[in-house]
Amino acid sequence: MSNENMTEPVVNENQNVSGLDDFEPASAPENTAPAADSLLDFDDDPLSATGVSRKSLVIFFLIDTSGSMKGKKMGELNTVMEELIPEIRRVGEADTEVKVAVLTFSTEVRWMYSTPIAIEDFEWARLRASGVTSMGAAFKELSLRMSRNSYLNSPSLSFAPVIFLMTDGYPSDDYKEGLKELQSNSWYKFGLKAALGIGEEANDDVLAEFTGSKDTVVHAYSGTQLAQMIKIIAVTSAQIGSKSMTLSDDSGHEIGEEDVFSAKQKLLGQQIQELVSNKVEENDVPFDTGW
Amino acid sequence: MFNGFSHSVKGASHDKSGLVCQDSSSHKVTDRYAIAVVADGHGSKKHFRSDKGSKFAVEATIEAIDTYFEDYDQLVSNFPSNHKLIIRNIQKQAIFNWNQKVNAHLKENPVTDEEKSKFTPEEFEAIPPESYYGTTLIAGIAAKDFTFGIQIGDGSLVAIFDDGEAIMPMEYNEAAPANVTASMCNSNAASMFSGFYVENKKLIAMYASTDGLYTSFGSERDFLDYHTIITSQLANIENFKTVIINNLTKRSHFGTEDDISLSCVFDTDIIDTKMDLIVSKVEENKKRAAARKAELLTKKIDNFE
Repeated sequence: MSNENMTEPVVNENQNVSGLDDFEPASAPENTAPAADSLLDFDDDPLSATGVSRKSLVIFFLIDTSGSMKGKKMGELNTVMEELIPEIRRVGEADTEVKVAVLTFSTEVRWMYSTPIAIEDFEWARLRASGVTSMGAAFKELSLRMSRNSYLNSPSLSFAPVIFLMTDGYPSDDYKEGLKELQSNSWYKFGLKAALGIGEEANDDVLAEFTGSKDTVVHAYSGTQLAQMIKIIAVTSAQIGSKSMTLSDDSGHEIGEEDVFSAKQKLLGQQIQELVSNKVEENDVPFDTGW
Repeated sequence: MFNGFSHSVKGASHDKSGLVCQDSSSHKVTDRYAIAVVADGHGSKKHFRSDKGSKFAVEATIEAIDTYFEDYDQLVSNFPSNHKLIIRNIQKQAIFNWNQKVNAHLKENPVTDEEKSKFTPEEFEAIPPESYYGTTLIAGIAAKDFTFGIQIGDGSLVAIFDDGEAIMPMEYNEAAPANVTASMCNSNAASMFSGFYVENKKLIAMYASTDGLYTSFGSERDFLDYHTIITSQLANIENFKTVIINNLTKRSHFGTEDDISLSCVFDTDIIDTKMDLIVSKVEENKKRAAARKAELLTKKIDNFE
C-alpha cells in the first residue's frame, strides 16, 4: 500500500517572521563574517554554518603600475585607495555586498588577491611602480577572469560589474587587440565602465575607447584631484551598479536588460560629470610640473 | 522507507512589491518511490499568472511520474536500458499535463480587464496564453534501484548518495545576463529540458530548490555543505523542519530577496546506517570552509613597504 504524502504548495503569506530573531543578522554573509569561529558555530542552529550572502556586486580596479607612476602619483593612489575602502563599504551597507578585485598592470599583469574579496575583508596592498604599460594584456586578463567559471562564480552575484581603469600613460602594447577581446565579454558589455587619466600623458581617447563614452572619463592633474576623482568614480559607480532598476519604463512597459544597463552607464556619465564640475581645484600643484 | 518535506517562502522583494509567492513546492512519498519537486513562476509582467503556473507545474510533474510508476515492475525492468527515452517521455507528459491545467484554468478564469489593462491591445495579442503562466520546474525522483531528475529553467538539484558527498547531478543552469530562461511555457519546452539518471547507487537524500536558495550563498561549496548539514539532521526531521523553514525565511529576507522553495526526499533506512559518515562530512566541511576563507584572504601582491 502506498504511503502517499502529497503536500499542497505552501505560500508564504502567513510566515511568522519573528522566527528571524533566532538568527544572526544579515551582515554576516560568506567571506564577511566577523570571525571564522563564530561563522562555523554549530551549537545553536546547524544551518548558520553556511552564511547568508546578500546580493553582490564586484568592482574591478585596473591600475597602471608602470614606471611613470613612480613617486607622488603612486604614493597618492595608495593613500586614496586605503581611504576609499571604508567609503565603498558604506555603499554596500544597505542591501548589497560589494566585492573588490584589483588588477595591476606594468610589464606584467598581477591580481592583488586570487578572487574578488568582500569589502569588509579587503585590505589594500600598497603598490609600487616600475616597467612598461601593458594595458592590452590587462584587458585580456580581465576578460579571462570575468566569467561564471572564474572570478564571477559567486551564486549571489546579482549585478553586472563595475570596471574602473586608472592610468597615466599611453599603452606600450597592442591595447586594441586586448580591448577587442574584452569587448566580446558579456560582463564587460553590461558592466559599468569608468576611467581616470592621471597627469598630462594619459590619453583620454584611449580611455573613452575603453569606457565607450567620454562622459565616463575624467582626468586628474594633481594629487588632490586624484583623490577626489577616484572617490567620485568609485563611490558613484558602486552606488549605481548596486541599484536595482526595474525592467519597465514610466508607463509600465517592459524594457530589455540591455536598455537597463545602458541607462545605468548613461546615469554614471551624467553623475560623474556633475560631481567633477563641482570639484575643480585651481590652486593645486599639477603632477607634471610641481611633483 | 522514504520520507520527505517541502516548503516555499515568499521573497522579501515580493513582499515589498505586493506580489504573491511565485514559487510552488511539493513532495510525494510512497513505499516504492519518492518525488521532490519545486517550480519558480517567472513573475514578470507578461507572466501575470505564474504563481498558478508554478503550482500546475508541480502537480503536473507528480501526476506524470505517478502515471509511469503505475506499472511499477515493468518500469523498473525497462528503466536501466531505456532511461533516456523514458525520462524524455516523462518530461513530455509533464508538459502535456501542465498545458492541460493551464488551458482548463484559463477557460474557467478568462483574462480580466484589470489583467489586460497593463498592456496595449497589440502587446496583449502578442503574448501566447501559456506565457501568462510561465514557470521553471525541477524534480528529483528516488526509486529503490535508481534515481533520476528532470529540469527546465533555473533551479538546483542536490543528491547525496551513500558515499556522503553532496553533488549536483544536473549542471546548474542559471541564465547568463543576456540569456533567456527556459520555461514550461516555451513552445519548444520539450527540447529545453535536461535530466539525469543514476543506477546502482544508494541514495541517502535528494533536494530540489528554486534559484532563490542558490543565490543566497556566497559560494557553490557553501551551497552543497548546507545540504550535507540538513542531511545530518534528517533522522530528526519533524523537529528540524522548523529550523529549516526559519533558515529559508532568513535567506529570503537577507539574501537576494527572492522566493525560496526547498523540497527533499530521503531514505530513512540508509540515513540510519550512514549517519556517522554524514556527521563526519559535516565536520570535514567545516574545516575545509575555514581553510578556503584563509586562502581567499591571502594577498597575491605583498605590501612593498
